[in-house]
Amino acid sequence: MTSPVTERPAAGAGAAARATDLWKVYGSGEAQVIALRGVNVELERGRFTAIMGPSGSGKSTLMHCMAGLDSATRGQLAIGDTALNGLGDAGLTRLRREKVGFIFQQFNLLPTLTAEENILLPLAIAGRKPDPGWFRTVVDTVGLGDRLGHRPNQLSGGQQQRVACARALVARPEVIFADEPTGNLDSRSGAEILGFLRRSVTEHGQTIVMVTHDANAASYAGRVIFLADGQIVDELTEPTADAVLDRIKRLDVVSTGAPE
Amino acid sequence: MIKASLRGLLQRKLRLSLAVFAIVLSVAFLAGSMVLSDTLSARFTALFTTVNQNVAVVVQPKDPQAVEPARLTEAQLRTLSEVDGVRVVSPDVSVQGATPFRATDGEPVSADAALGFGVDGNDDPLGLVELREGRWPTAENEVAITAHTAELAKVKRGEQLKVYLPVLNEPRSFTVVGVAGYSGGRDSLAGEVVVMFQQAFAQRTFYGETGRFGGASFAAEPGVSDIELKQRIEQRLPAGFKALTAEESSEDRAALSGGVIIDVFKYILVGFAVVAGIVGIFLIFNTFNIIVAQRTRELALLRALGAGWGQVAGSVLLEALVVGVVGATLGLAAGVGVAAAAEQYLMGEVPLPPVDLVVAPLTVLLSYLLGVVVTLVAAFVPAVRASSVPPVAAMRDVVRPDKSLKALSIVGAVFALLGIGLVALGAFADLGGTAFLILLFGALLLFVGTLLLSPLLARPIVRGLGALIGRGSAGDLGVRNAARNPRRTAVTAAAIIIGVTVIGMTATVVQSFKTSLEDIMGENIGVEVMIQAAVTAAPDGRQGFNPKALDQVRAIPGVKEAAAWHFDALGVSVAGQPQAFGVFATDVGQAARMFPFDATGGEIRTLAAQELVLDGNTAETLKLKAGDRTPVVIGGVTRDYTVVGVYQATPIIQGILVGEPAIADFPGPLAFQGFVSLNDGVDAAPVVEKIETIMKDYPGVQVGDRQSYVDQATASYDFLLIAVQILLLVALVIALLGILNTLVLSIVERTRELGLVRAVGLSRGGLVWMITVESVLITVFGVFLGLALGVGLGAAFTKALMTLEFASVIAIPWLELAQYLLAAVVAGVLAAVIPARMAARLNVLDAISYE
Ligand SMILES: Nc1ncnc2c1ncn2[C@@H]1O[C@H](COP(=O)(O)OP(=O)(O)OP(=O)(O)O)[C@@H](O)[C@H]1O
Ligand SMILES: [Mg+2]
Repeated sequence: MTSPVTERPAAGAGAAARATDLWKVYGSGEAQVIALRGVNVELERGRFTAIMGPSGSGKSTLMHCMAGLDSATRGQLAIGDTALNGLGDAGLTRLRREKVGFIFQQFNLLPTLTAEENILLPLAIAGRKPDPGWFRTVVDTVGLGDRLGHRPNQLSGGQQQRVACARALVARPEVIFADEPTGNLDSRSGAEILGFLRRSVTEHGQTIVMVTHDANAASYAGRVIFLADGQIVDELTEPTADAVLDRIKRLDVVSTGAPE
Repeated sequence: MIKASLRGLLQRKLRLSLAVFAIVLSVAFLAGSMVLSDTLSARFTALFTTVNQNVAVVVQPKDPQAVEPARLTEAQLRTLSEVDGVRVVSPDVSVQGATPFRATDGEPVSADAALGFGVDGNDDPLGLVELREGRWPTAENEVAITAHTAELAKVKRGEQLKVYLPVLNEPRSFTVVGVAGYSGGRDSLAGEVVVMFQQAFAQRTFYGETGRFGGASFAAEPGVSDIELKQRIEQRLPAGFKALTAEESSEDRAALSGGVIIDVFKYILVGFAVVAGIVGIFLIFNTFNIIVAQRTRELALLRALGAGWGQVAGSVLLEALVVGVVGATLGLAAGVGVAAAAEQYLMGEVPLPPVDLVVAPLTVLLSYLLGVVVTLVAAFVPAVRASSVPPVAAMRDVVRPDKSLKALSIVGAVFALLGIGLVALGAFADLGGTAFLILLFGALLLFVGTLLLSPLLARPIVRGLGALIGRGSAGDLGVRNAARNPRRTAVTAAAIIIGVTVIGMTATVVQSFKTSLEDIMGENIGVEVMIQAAVTAAPDGRQGFNPKALDQVRAIPGVKEAAAWHFDALGVSVAGQPQAFGVFATDVGQAARMFPFDATGGEIRTLAAQELVLDGNTAETLKLKAGDRTPVVIGGVTRDYTVVGVYQATPIIQGILVGEPAIADFPGPLAFQGFVSLNDGVDAAPVVEKIETIMKDYPGVQVGDRQSYVDQATASYDFLLIAVQILLLVALVIALLGILNTLVLSIVERTRELGLVRAVGLSRGGLVWMITVESVLITVFGVFLGLALGVGLGAAFTKALMTLEFASVIAIPWLELAQYLLAAVVAGVLAAVIPARMAARLNVLDAISYE
């Protein structure tokens, strides 16, 4: 642990996470796939950003790179004032502990831990004490009060995702990355989860980035970035579901050359 | 379907190679110990086949151990040699224990066998022994020796050689007139020492008169088979003799002489094989069980696509069959290889004839039984479980709740309770010899019960232990992983439980026995120096030292008393019952001054002819009390003895004691043990040295102080302990690999979880620690249960020994227990190395996007 993450200020402080001229290339030769081609993006603090785009457009790749889970082929990456380029495994681990939260589409929880223990896991790993007041607030926000002692296999899919949300929120990370967090849920449970995420942004100033396919889900965000073929092709602020759908239709025309 | 399952086989390389590895390992240990044991036996048989190479039939006394073994007269020998079909006769005049003394320092030559022969001055008619230089002995004071003997005794032809003469019980000097070897240029057959005397001298000295033979070997004329000749000879055979074909005789003698060493070794190897087999069953079962369980979803998918129950189970079994056959074959090959290497290593220095490795049909059979059948059973159980799950339920991605442990635990509890009851009965009730049978059976029940209960015990014990070592969140996750699947943890630990129970039990009994002995020896024994004859056969007064030598001991300044103890364990019976532990003859009045003798009936005093004393247990068994008269057979003579006294048995003195007049009936006049007491303040060390010089003429007689006596008395137990510790090592190695296997499979199974904890901030080091904690907990759990069970059973066995006065305290070997625990922790850490590295190398992104 020779490189404390706080010692590497990056330009343009104020953004929670940044990617500058980000390229990601998988494989080589015949099998080469360019997943990202020169993406520039800046995620402001205290904002709920959605990333949309057709399947295979590079959404997950962009998120993984920005979260430090995957390395960039070229370009600059930063979370807060910490540059990711060149951080080793130890540095990245520390970064994840202190500045990043994750919500995955599924398999978010450890089956051996109770809901409460799952929520507190990142803090336990980091050796930090939870703030009891904040813990209560988070648990109340996601509505898990009477379910804290249960194990994941005793919870429904929606409840499991709420636990995952609470886990991401409780450590108050610089930024939370969520890859299709409601992809496996019915629309009501999905709406609840999205509601919590939005409230944590508006009420507590949390920064959240979410990948989604669902225009309705994207409408909970304050800003939507549209990705196609590894490039940012469009952007919307304070969108409605209809506006998002409209954009998607137009993009499909652009990328496939024909109306759906 | 078959194609699908075979293709599936190739695609899961890692998991399957682990399964094959488990089978190879178990089978290799089993096959290796069996092949080694069989090959060593074959070596000994081969030795005597060499001895009998030109022999067709051997004639020997029916009971060579008898007090007065049958002898052939010259006339009888002539009759036998005139049997139709006999080509040549080689009469036998021989004795065991004709030990030469080294010319350089006067010490007796040490060898496994020291044989004396009488030879008639002509070359060996059977051509086995050949004169290399000089001539055969023709005078009483001449001997010929083998080249190996010459080398050991450091003498050359023409020089003097001192040889101890059994029966005469004294050493005498001879001139070496010849050096011989064996056909084929060998100096010895098996490292034995051989001295050849003039025949008449040997007959007179060893057999009491000339013209007597101990037996004879016969070569057949061409065209006469061994069996034919044997049948012809049998018709002329004098009473007390039997005829054997060369082959029968070789096997007989191999069993007799190789016997002791090879048998002990064989028992150890059989122990190896059994432990390897049992542990292997657990290892294979566990590995295959996990592998099939991990495929539950895949199997359910096949079911959803329309595969029938039988097809699914069949595909799993086919896979298991292929894996089992491959594993068993590789294991058998590996075992043979290991045995070959071990045999080379063990036998490299021993001049026994080399033989081919013996791979017996039983070895092959058991190898495949273990490899294939166990694998099939191990695969079948989870396959049935998997195929009986409704396809949809298995497809859903919820963690299925553990199957209830209730039924298993109830059966286990019943076994354990029954076992505890029987063990308690055996330990506390005064049942004599049957107590041990009851105890043994109870111990077995309790052991099986504990194994069945171990899944139930796994959670609480692992959590309890985990509270000690599972500090920090990574450690805590490790503890939870060890406790999450109690069945898996318990089965993985089973190998350790088995090994450690045996070792814990042995260690406790040995420690108790030693402590008892030390207590008694230290407390109230008036003996400072012990003299002890070597035990090479059942003692009967024909081995040991002349009690007159103690007169010289008594003359040493500082010596208070010296007592000679004679011992006869050959054909002794009291009150009509054979006494396997024989009788002691000594001055009992003197013994009472040196050892603690508490009379519980009658009196303990110097005994006259036809008087005896005995301990309470023996008196009870024989239904005798002070004042009774009873018939006693010693040395073939029956006399009526009076019971003068009954004493309280102690771990050092027990059994039947008669007075010195009875020695006249013993087969030989030699003392078996001597005890020396010293005046106050006299240092034992110089006295020991002086006595050693006096006893120098008696080969094999050891002199030592009190501690060395304790050491010697416990030496055989220490040997047992070491043998058991080696067993533990085998069990531990297999168990280690079993844990490794389980952990690797668990890691494959939990890839997603590993990715998750890494994603939320666990470092590589944390992950390694998590897996190490899991591994150590499984190991320590096994050691913990094993030690608890082993020490408990050991204490129970000791309690039963105490009832029989063989021990006086239960002592728990804390130091050894601590060492075993430490070994387990180290083993646990080692087992975690590979899996932990695997886990640490996982790419976070790959892990979380893992299907
Ligand atoms: N490990 C990899 N190796 C090679 N190519 C990859 C790898 N991961 C992603 N890709 C390719 O990169 C491109 C972008 O993938 P990505 O997973 O980011 O898409 P996505 O927008 O998240 O799609 P979806 O909406 O289906 O999840 C795709 O063409 C994909 O095939
Ligand atoms: Mg994606």
